[in-house]
Amino acid sequence: MSTRTRLGIGVGVAAVAVVAAVWFLVLPRLQPHVFYGQVIQSGSPAPSVELVGPGGAPVALTDFEDQVVVMYFGYTFCPDVCPITLAKLDRARTMLGEDAEHVQVVMITVDPERDTVEKLEKYTANFDPSFIGLTGDIEDIDRIATTYGVYYAAAETDSAAGYLVDHTSTVLVVDRSGELKLIIPFDATDEQVAADLAYLLG
Amino acid sequence: MNSLVDYYNNGMVIYAEPESDADPRGPDDPRRSRRWWLWIAVPGAVLVLAVMAFAILEPIQVLPRMRVGPGYSLVDQSGASFTSEDVRGDVVLYSFGYADCDDRCDGMETTIRDVQSRLGEVDLGDVDVRFVTVTLQPDSDSPEILASHAESVGADGNSWRYVTGEPSHVDNVLRSGFRVWHQQRDDGSFAFDPTLVLVDGWGVIRGEYRYQTLASDADKIVRHLGILGEELRNAKGAASIAYEAAHFFLCYP
Repeated sequence: MSTRTRLGIGVGVAAVAVVAAVWFLVLPRLQPHVFYGQVIQSGSPAPSVELVGPGGAPVALTDFEDQVVVMYFGYTFCPDVCPITLAKLDRARTMLGEDAEHVQVVMITVDPERDTVEKLEKYTANFDPSFIGLTGDIEDIDRIATTYGVYYAAAETDSAAGYLVDHTSTVLVVDRSGELKLIIPFDATDEQVAADLAYLLG
Repeated sequence: MNSLVDYYNNGMVIYAEPESDADPRGPDDPRRSRRWWLWIAVPGAVLVLAVMAFAILEPIQVLPRMRVGPGYSLVDQSGASFTSEDVRGDVVLYSFGYADCDDRCDGMETTIRDVQSRLGEVDLGDVDVRFVTVTLQPDSDSPEILASHAESVGADGNSWRYVTGEPSHVDNVLRSGFRVWHQQRDDGSFAFDPTLVLVDGWGVIRGEYRYQTLASDADKIVRHLGILGEELRNAKGAASIAYEAAHFFLCYP
């Protein structure tokens, strides 16, 4: 085999290796992330949230500096949608590994009459000790829910719980710069939620 | 075979052509390094030109996703419950007024009727377009009063509804949600700027039209509905990346 032939084979093998490396290693990293949730480009700070948190302490959205805040509007008597969503957020957060410490899940009650601070603390701890529940005056809750696009209305039922509260089931995500960035629908999977959060974490 | 080196070394040459498979440029030849940089410079230039062309020529236009629209629980002119979840998945053009309103509302209502009559010009696929007018005066605009007013302006109660509700909640919807400034005067009338707000099926505000509405304003709204319809129909699969790029580069009409 001549030197020229050996050189040609070497260059060919190297070219195939380079193409394979680009195809399998570089291109996937260059491909833009396609959010499952709907992206919002407000460019302005998320509407203010100032409510009562664990231990009765005041909690504001601005307390979570440099955190991705995952907001969910629900209530502790919620029979299905809320526990499903919070369990999903817990699993998605676990998938993030060490980055999970930069994600704060917050549940804002849409049933402040029954959801006391203590009840919210117990409820959220069932899913993840890091989750926090917020409550407050009905006027404040109404303003915040309305501003974040969340509808809620009490619905009388025959259930032992007395009444249920119909409410919007989407999850809202505030990014690390404090902007409302994402609306995640109820049907998102654990992996889709984790992927969207991972991208926001950068 | 002789080379130029032989020529210079020996003072003679019979045939000076280099071997055909040998590159006459040494590893330090400046021509070689120039050519190497071309592999980066040319694709880079093409990429930059493509980005500039995308941003300047705007092959894909999109409406901005400005902010999330309000969630609400209200009642319509028939007294039936009407919530933001009832229109999830629909495109909604919101307007604001009240039953005893003056000609500022007449212009807005004319615009809405004009847009309604021209919906055949836009293709939103299987997405419905709805019209919702929120009262500025929930204290006195009962469903019965709104029903009478709605009938007089041609709001059918299905595709175009007038809605009212508990005053403090309506106030939240107007001020915090839609950011519609309004103030009641001593004579009971309202100081306000006629406003129309376009909201998509996700509940995200995609257009705000804050000026004295005239019938001709319908042209802009119909055009924007067409742009929204194109995105709804086409932003799927790989094309969704191009639409996200259009949002990123602010290719707004």
